[in-house]
Amino acid sequence: MDADTLAPVKPGRPVGVAIVDDHPVVIDGVRAWLATEPRLAVLATGDDPDEVLRAAPTADVILLDLRLHGRIVLDKLAELSTAGRRVVVYSEHSDPQTMLAALDAGAVAFLAKHEGREHCVATVLDAAADRPYVAPALAGAMVGDSRPDRPVLSDKEREALLLWFQSMSKASVARRMRISEHTVKQYVDRARIKYSRVGRPAATKAALLARAIEDGLIRPEEIGIYRSHAATDWPTP
Amino acid sequence: MSAEPGTTGMAQTERIPVPRTPELVMATRAGRAAAAVVRISDRGARIGVVTIALVWHLAIGLPAVLAARSELAAPQVVVGGWLLVAVLGGLAGVWLLRDAALPAPPLAVLLLAVDVAVFAAVGRSQLFGPANWVWGGLAWFFVVALWQRPVRWLFALLAAHACTGLTAVVLYGATEAADLARATMALYGTSSLPAAVFAGGATLTALSRDRAATAATTNTMVAEREAAEQARRDRRERLALVSAAAGEVLTELAQGRADPADPQVQRRCTHAAARLRRLIAESDDVPHPLLHELRAAADLAERNGLPIELVTIGTPPPLPVQVRRSLTDPLIAVLADARDWARLTVVSSSDEVVVALVTPDAAGPDAHGPPPEDGDGQVEHRYERDGKIRWTQTRWHR
Repeated sequence: MDADTLAPVKPGRPVGVAIVDDHPVVIDGVRAWLATEPRLAVLATGDDPDEVLRAAPTADVILLDLRLHGRIVLDKLAELSTAGRRVVVYSEHSDPQTMLAALDAGAVAFLAKHEGREHCVATVLDAAADRPYVAPALAGAMVGDSRPDRPVLSDKEREALLLWFQSMSKASVARRMRISEHTVKQYVDRARIKYSRVGRPAATKAALLARAIEDGLIRPEEIGIYRSHAATDWPTP
Repeated sequence: MSAEPGTTGMAQTERIPVPRTPELVMATRAGRAAAAVVRISDRGARIGVVTIALVWHLAIGLPAVLAARSELAAPQVVVGGWLLVAVLGGLAGVWLLRDAALPAPPLAVLLLAVDVAVFAAVGRSQLFGPANWVWGGLAWFFVVALWQRPVRWLFALLAAHACTGLTAVVLYGATEAADLARATMALYGTSSLPAAVFAGGATLTALSRDRAATAATTNTMVAEREAAEQARRDRRERLALVSAAAGEVLTELAQGRADPADPQVQRRCTHAAARLRRLIAESDDVPHPLLHELRAAADLAERNGLPIELVTIGTPPPLPVQVRRSLTDPLIAVLADARDWARLTVVSSSDEVVVALVTPDAAGPDAHGPPPEDGDGQVEHRYERDGKIRWTQTRWHR
């Protein structure tokens, strides 16, 4: 697959989802959540990403458990993202470092496992459309990010992330900040888009950026110069 | 913090055997302070004595020896003795000014040996002449060699010096009355001043040691008393806080004025318990006291049957207890009211800490009306309810 562009999701047919987890009970649970949404169809499941993708090469979104057989699979995540796969990571590891590392590796979205029921469907739908979806746990990780190469967020973006993380209710954030819910989502999403410039380049990040510009969420001049941290050892597509 | 003041700090920093009682601590501290004062005040006297000895030796002894060289019986011995004493004096001076202990016995023996040699080598003609430099100059080197030793050592050395001189006078046959008188005068005149300086120095040292020890003991006692009073004030303050936290509702329950079945009373009890728990957590010595105190509050709420989620991001900087109280108190008050679930979040960076509590908004008015949204300068407090959730946030800025 051309790593520069992601296969577009065809309108009219459901979004194909592949689930990779080493716990069958979790797979069943996620499948049950997704079954409530007719626009989604689970194409394959399993505990090996390669096998699952062989079974469902056309999957639009991969839901990936970050820990497979006792190992954190950030490397596999990076490989899939670079290859243009939209990966939504979900994990019981909701510490900020892990979440930010998953974003750096190219995950389209990160869900803490306890956030699954509420946010899973919306996250997958947004991921299929190359739109950001920031669940509260990830918002907390972004607002608490103290790494030297973190993106510069505006005060409003930080405040929206903080309040979203605290309350888990966009309506409350909107009232608190005296703005509309739509604007709250814009602030949160803009912050997320700024993170697509951090870490190694990935096709998924480029797709997120491109869609954000197309949607008018962010202007090209706000993006700045893309500088890869792995420019020397990363194959150019 | 909770340990008795004055004992633990000492135990960690001292290398000497650790004193176990406050009196011993005080005595040891006083002794150390006195020793420091003595070292400083004695330094001036030492500089003086070394200077007098060397200047005398150079300015009076040397010209006289050189002028009368031809008249001496064995000028090499006299000049050699002079040189040896000059070197010894220089070395002893350096030692003394560096606070090092001098090897007094070998020095004294060497000086006496030079004394005997020079008397023997000076010859009859210069016995009472200025070229016999040991008459006047040597006593000052005795003072340098025996500095800070008992005065009787000096007297013993001066007596030996006198014996040497008188023996030489007798052996040279200068036993006329005039000669004996000159010898006696020379001995008396050249010994009395060094002896006086030596004794004076020793007395001053003893005095300053006493005075410094007294002052240090007094200071230590004042500090101990102040620390004890501070500890007492802290204890009273905490007692007042505890009384404010739980005293009222407990009194009402005891007097039967409050009904344990009344939800309002139950709420007040929960709140009081949470504040007591916080006060206990406050005095624990832990790396991140704010998180520890919040964890204690969450723990208690959970034990009371409230599912609570505590999420912390970042590490809070060290905060004074007042700031921590301002950060946690409003949340603890709301937590007492919470039903069904609660979410407690802490986001910290080096110059900002934001603590928030979100609970479902049960129908009905606030128990005590809406808490005031205010700040005490450093901590800002916000409260909001929208029918679905109650949201309390405290925020500290550097």
